[in-house]
Amino acid sequence: MESSELARFETVVLPHLDAAYTLARYLTRNEHDAEDVVQDACLRALKYFESFRGEEGTSARAWLLAIVRNTAFSSRRRQRPDAVVLEFDEAQHSGAVADEHPEAALLRSAAKESLGRALDRLAPEFREVIVLRELEGLSYKEISDVAGVPVGTVMSRLSRARNRLQQVLREEEEG
Amino acid sequence: MTHPSFEAQLDAYLDGELAAVDARELETHLAQCPECAQFRDGRLKLRAAITAHVPAFQAPTALRDRVREALRAAAPARASRRLTVPRLWRPLALAASLAVVAVGSWRLALQHAAGETLTDDVLASHIRSLMPGHLTDVPSSDQHTVKPWFNGKLDFSPPVYDFAGRGYPLLGGRLDYVDGRAVAALAYGRRQHLINVFLWPAARGPAAAPTTRTGQGYHLLHWATADYTYWVVSDLGLPELGDFAGLLRQADSAAGAPK
Repeated sequence: MESSELARFETVVLPHLDAAYTLARYLTRNEHDAEDVVQDACLRALKYFESFRGEEGTSARAWLLAIVRNTAFSSRRRQRPDAVVLEFDEAQHSGAVADEHPEAALLRSAAKESLGRALDRLAPEFREVIVLRELEGLSYKEISDVAGVPVGTVMSRLSRARNRLQQVLREEEEG
Repeated sequence: MTHPSFEAQLDAYLDGELAAVDARELETHLAQCPECAQFRDGRLKLRAAITAHVPAFQAPTALRDRVREALRAAAPARASRRLTVPRLWRPLALAASLAVVAVGSWRLALQHAAGETLTDDVLASHIRSLMPGHLTDVPSSDQHTVKPWFNGKLDFSPPVYDFAGRGYPLLGGRLDYVDGRAVAALAYGRRQHLINVFLWPAARGPAAAPTTRTGQGYHLLHWATADYTYWVVSDLGLPELGDFAGLLRQADSAAGAPK
């Protein structure tokens, strides 16, 4: 009985291991942490597998990515609570959106950044929406489920994250 | 000139997340507002750069093995824990699972009673097309390459459209066999998802509005125009698939009863 359930779990969930690893890599910014996160997440997923019935509208991928995301964030809090780069809270940041011209912030780094490094420097909340959208191909609704925020927040986070990345691109071109 | 909520709207539009009505409105605006058009171009450039420079990763084989081992080690522990579930619940659980089976097979029986082997046929073709090398006979994002390719291969000339501008790029076409006849199959992309469009000349009858079915995790949309029978299959969510079907139907009616 348990072996057939495990087999079912493996068929449904393991095809999304690459997606899980990609998300973990970008959230942890580190290969080893990413592997640990993926393994922990898979074990958690097995534990909650009964609650996932693959009902209509819930893809196994989004479900697994949500667990990976929560695992990564909780291990980040546990390991180095203060080592968060460029953290900014939603309220403070949304106030600054009207004059969104993050040149100042980016000019601080004199060296030209590659896009990947720029992504790494985004706050995790902003990094994750970019990865979920651009690399994992999730819909806004799925991202909202994974990140646990309303679709409106997904939209505004995506826009801001893109503004920042675009700024980096522009600088690369000019400099 | 652009302000944040409008930027988010434009992003939603470029992500194909805007309702068709709003998207049309936005397109009209884009055509006459250079600033917004510039914003869009910047976004498209960014998207290309992300595709080029921000890789998706493959899980290392060692990790794959590690995960499998960990799962195997964890599974028996779970099974023994489950035996401690109070006895009272077990008959209930059994009854519940029987109910699920009953509903499932009842649905299946109904479907077959309704002669839905065509649905199975289309679904099977879709799944087959997902296997490596089976998606397209003529891989091209150019509708003017794909359409003439069908010449001489089918007894009709299927209308072919590209919706790359709306986030559904044409990937190519192929011949397929459905409902006992050769049909045109067109493949479209949507992010990491694939959409198959099957079409063939309609049996004479009135045009029919789209109907929806779901099977094996795929959604199927079916409708008929005056000229063609359409089936659209994908693992894409229904709202987006509906949006895509809307584009097709719109293009068809704009082309005015294509022959």
